[in-house]
Amino acid sequence: MKPRLAVPILVALLALAFLASLAFGELRLSFGQVVSALMGGGDDIARTVVRDFRLPRALVGMAAGAALGASGVVMQAFFRNPLASPGLLGVSSGGALGAVAVLALAPATGFAAATLWALPAASVVGAFGATGAVLMLAQRGAGTERLLLSGVALNALLGAGTSFLLTTTAGHFEVNAQILFWLMGGLESRSWEHVWMGVPAILVGCLLLLPLGRAMDLLSLGEQSAQSLGVDVRRLRRQLIVLSTVLTALATAVGGIIGFVGLVVPHMLRLAFGPDHRRLLPYSMLGGAAFLLACDLVTRTFPIGLRLGVVTALVGGPFFLWLLRRPR
Amino acid sequence: MSTPALHASNLSVPGRLEAVTLDLGPGELVAMVGPNGAGKSTLIQALAGLLPAHGTIQWNGQPLSHIAAAERGRRLAWVGQEAHFEFAFPVREVVAQGRYAWGDDPSGVAEALAEVDLGFLADRPVTRLSGGERHRVALARALATQAPIQLWDEPVAQLDVRHALEVMRLARRLADGGGTVVVSLHDLRAAYRFDRVLVLDRGRLVGDGPPHGVLTADLIREVFRVEATFVESLVPELPGA
Repeated sequence: MKPRLAVPILVALLALAFLASLAFGELRLSFGQVVSALMGGGDDIARTVVRDFRLPRALVGMAAGAALGASGVVMQAFFRNPLASPGLLGVSSGGALGAVAVLALAPATGFAAATLWALPAASVVGAFGATGAVLMLAQRGAGTERLLLSGVALNALLGAGTSFLLTTTAGHFEVNAQILFWLMGGLESRSWEHVWMGVPAILVGCLLLLPLGRAMDLLSLGEQSAQSLGVDVRRLRRQLIVLSTVLTALATAVGGIIGFVGLVVPHMLRLAFGPDHRRLLPYSMLGGAAFLLACDLVTRTFPIGLRLGVVTALVGGPFFLWLLRRPR
Repeated sequence: MSTPALHASNLSVPGRLEAVTLDLGPGELVAMVGPNGAGKSTLIQALAGLLPAHGTIQWNGQPLSHIAAAERGRRLAWVGQEAHFEFAFPVREVVAQGRYAWGDDPSGVAEALAEVDLGFLADRPVTRLSGGERHRVALARALATQAPIQLWDEPVAQLDVRHALEVMRLARRLADGGGTVVVSLHDLRAAYRFDRVLVLDRGRLVGDGPPHGVLTADLIREVFRVEATFVESLVPELPGA
């Protein structure tokens, strides 16, 4: 497909998903009602539903989707592997473990209930802790393969910790339900506080990534060749790891673990519009935002207990298998 | 003597390269030979600043550590032994990456493609090329940098005879134009066509000089464990350069 079609298509999809997010739900509103509610008109109920509930949820969803899409592009270029994903280094597992640890301690301390910020903060701490551990483990030489294997080991370790906490809290139904939120992701009851926690920082992270697209093109075809062609590879790798980690950590902090977005979205867009990272980065941000909103709409449209992470995986899993079966 | 284009003294990489000292001047066409594992790729990568190494490296009299990344990309081009490309960039785009250090000014990209006979494949995704074609893409990318120092690690190992000869002629032309061109090779017959031959054995530089002075029967027997008459007898079969 022609790259110049990409932005109009993706923006249209995102706008559609955004408006649908504001219109659909238990209270069905028309697009006209949504627009007038956004402008401050319309009836009180519609205005409250749109501005206090659905708008923050949609904004958080867009930001998390953009962050995961961008982070996926970065990891794929970094590891020169189109099957790499944002959670590869243990960032999301660490984020989930941080939040789950606080929840598991909650019945004893009442800490998590005390403040809205405790869980996202614990999640960010967990995510950064995980990345710090990977970077330290892999520091000597910091070869790509070593980093990857460290991530695999860390993911297993963090997952084990989370499973352990999940079993120890098995008696506490309320806590268990909350833990599941972190493990399978979700956007329900996202408030303006969550918007302020995640959206501005994600926006900044995305903007900082955009100028690195050209150097990522070179890195994606080989570290040594990129270095020989004039890229400061050591510095670029550091920038990429930090930005990708921050974006994934923030997405996890406001939405829990949401798999497959960072894998599927960049991949689809690369197939459609080519591998040039100067384009792939913004496309994946737009596409990730639209994809996550669409998946969230599915969870709301079929209220049978579908979690966001389940829907993204239901869409992403078969796609992944199809990719593996395709001749390269 | 003018400032060497490439200078290395006591260049060592633990376990792979031992105290290599050499000076390469502008206009020199240099072959690097040695058995598998002798350290050819390591020396090339160390000279290119792509490997941490002990010792001193200077490009045009300037210590490598004083040369910024982008400036390095304008001065020296490296072609690796492996030419794998994971992402399906069109051939033209890969070659255009050679212009990164020049702010992506596209001049010379079409010429570089033509030099290695890739013009007709310019729009093909690089992932759909054969091994030899991918090596020619990597060479074209190095040419597109227009860097005066060119280090090519086994550029012809996978090429058919016509393209291999064209690459050798290209190397000669670059050197005649004042470039410093280092090519690692396994074909000792081809090495006789170079101005200068470097022989590596178990991480040491054991021979350095004009081919007929260096590639003697004794040295070849010592380093490669091959009777040299074999090599000498094949020399006249080389097609003219």
